[in-house]
Amino acid sequence: MRKPEPSDIVVSGIGVTSAVGQGQAAFGAALLEGRHGFATMRRPGRQRPSVEHPTCYLGAEMADLDIPSAIPRGLLRTASLSGQAALVTLHEAWNDARLDRVTPERVGLVVGGSNFQQREIVLAQEAYRGREQFLRPTYGMSFMDSDVCGLCSEAFGIRGFALTVGGASASGQVAVLEAIHAVASGRVDVCIAMGALMDLSYWECQGLRSLGAMGSDHHADSPALACRPFDRDRDGFIFGESCGAVVVESLASARERERTPYARLAGWAMRMDGNRNPNPSPDGEIAAISAAIARAGLAPADIDYVNPHGTGSGVGDVVELDSLRRCGLGRARINATKSVIGHGLSAAGAVELIAVLLQMRDGRLHPTRNLDHPIDDAFRWVGAEAVSHTIENALNLSIGFGGVNTAVCLQRFS
Amino acid sequence: MTIQEIFEVIVRHTREILPGQEGRDFRLTDSLRELGANSVDRSEIIMMTLGSLSLNIPLVHMARAQNIGELASIIHAKA
Repeated sequence: MRKPEPSDIVVSGIGVTSAVGQGQAAFGAALLEGRHGFATMRRPGRQRPSVEHPTCYLGAEMADLDIPSAIPRGLLRTASLSGQAALVTLHEAWNDARLDRVTPERVGLVVGGSNFQQREIVLAQEAYRGREQFLRPTYGMSFMDSDVCGLCSEAFGIRGFALTVGGASASGQVAVLEAIHAVASGRVDVCIAMGALMDLSYWECQGLRSLGAMGSDHHADSPALACRPFDRDRDGFIFGESCGAVVVESLASARERERTPYARLAGWAMRMDGNRNPNPSPDGEIAAISAAIARAGLAPADIDYVNPHGTGSGVGDVVELDSLRRCGLGRARINATKSVIGHGLSAAGAVELIAVLLQMRDGRLHPTRNLDHPIDDAFRWVGAEAVSHTIENALNLSIGFGGVNTAVCLQRFS
Repeated sequence: MTIQEIFEVIVRHTREILPGQEGRDFRLTDSLRELGANSVDRSEIIMMTLGSLSLNIPLVHMARAQNIGELASIIHAKA
C-alpha cells in the first residue's frame, strides 16, 4: 500500500477498559452520566501494609474484567493485571476495526507506558521474600513491560512490529503519535496505539503524593469529592485504572474493509520543555498546541472543543489554562475527562482521546465533576450536566513529567 | 515423602498451569511436553512443586526427565 498523505490518517477502531465501565458503550454512557468509581483503593498492594501508619490512597479501580473466550486461557494465567487489561481492550479494538482482515505482517502495536506493572512486582517480591529460590520463572518475563507486547502479539497474531514507548503521563498520546508515524511512513498499514494500564503499588502512590502530584487524603471520608480538575479546591490528581486502544490507519486502508472512521487525525505534535522535573511549562504546551493546529491546517478559532490534560494539580491546571488562552482557545467548549475516570497516567492519553471520539460521535460533551468554583470562569466549561455540542475540530492534550507536551487535533470525518 | 506423593504434587500443579487438564487421570508415564506444557510451563510446574515441598534443588537436575514419573523420581532422589 502507498504511503498515505498525513491528512488521510484516521482512527478506525477503539477499545477501552476503565473503572467506570468495560467497553466503549459502558465507558461512553458513564462519561455522559458523570458516573465515577472513586473510593479508598482496595486492590492488594495499593495501601501500605502497616498497622501503625495506615494509608488511604484514593482512586478508581476496575471491576473484575469480563474476558472474552477468544483470548487463550494459557496466556491469561500468567498475565499481569496490565496484561489482562491490554488483552481485553485490544480484543474490542481489533474486532471494531475488523483487523482479522489485515495481513499480520502489516499490523504494528505501540504500547504507551513504562514501569506500569509495579504493584504485581511488589506483591511477587513480598510473597517470595526469604524463599527467593522458588520465585516463579514467569517473573523473569513479566517484570518487563514489553511482556504486554508479547502477550498481545501472540493472542492476535501481530507480525509487523510491537514495542513500548514512555512519556510519563503523556505515554498514551505518545503511543498515538508513534502509531501515526508508523502509518505515515509506510512501515505498516495499520498500527494500534495502546495506553497501558498503570498498576501502581503503594510505593508509587507514596512517591507521587510526596512529590505533591497525587491528591492528599483530605477527602478520605468523601472520595467522590477528591477528584476536581480546574476547581479552586483541587489538591492533586486522583488515580483511576484504565486502558485504551486506538486503531490508526489510512483512510484507504480502512475503506478496504468498509470501515467508517471515527475521526481524522488531522494534526499532531510533541514538544519538550528541556526540563527533567514535574513542573509544567507554558512555552512547551503552547509550542505543542500551535504545531498540532498548524499541521492540521486550522486556525485556533476552528477548534470547538478542547479535551485538556487537566489533572487537578495545583500548578498544572493553571498553566494549562494560561496556555490555552494564549493560543486563542479560550472560547472552545472544555471539560475534564479525569474528573470522571481519574488519572490513568500511562493510559490517560489514549483513553482521553477515545473520550473525544465518543463525544464527537454522540454530539454530546460529558460533565466535569466537582467543578464548583472554576479557577477561571472565562472558559466555556461543561459543568455538572452533559451538553449537546457538535464537534467539528477537537484538540486533545497530554502532559508528562520530564517536560513532555503532546497535542492531537481530531477532525470530524465526513 | 514417597515418589507417589511427589507425583501427586506435580499433578496438582500441572492442573493449575495447563488449562483443560482438570479431569485427567494422570499416569507416571505422562509427558508434560506432550500434555502441551511449553518450556516456561514446565519450569513453573517444577518450581511450584519444589516450593510446595520446600526443596532447594537446581532446575538443571530435572532436565533429563522424560515424563512425570521420572521427574518425581529425580526429586525424590535429590530430596
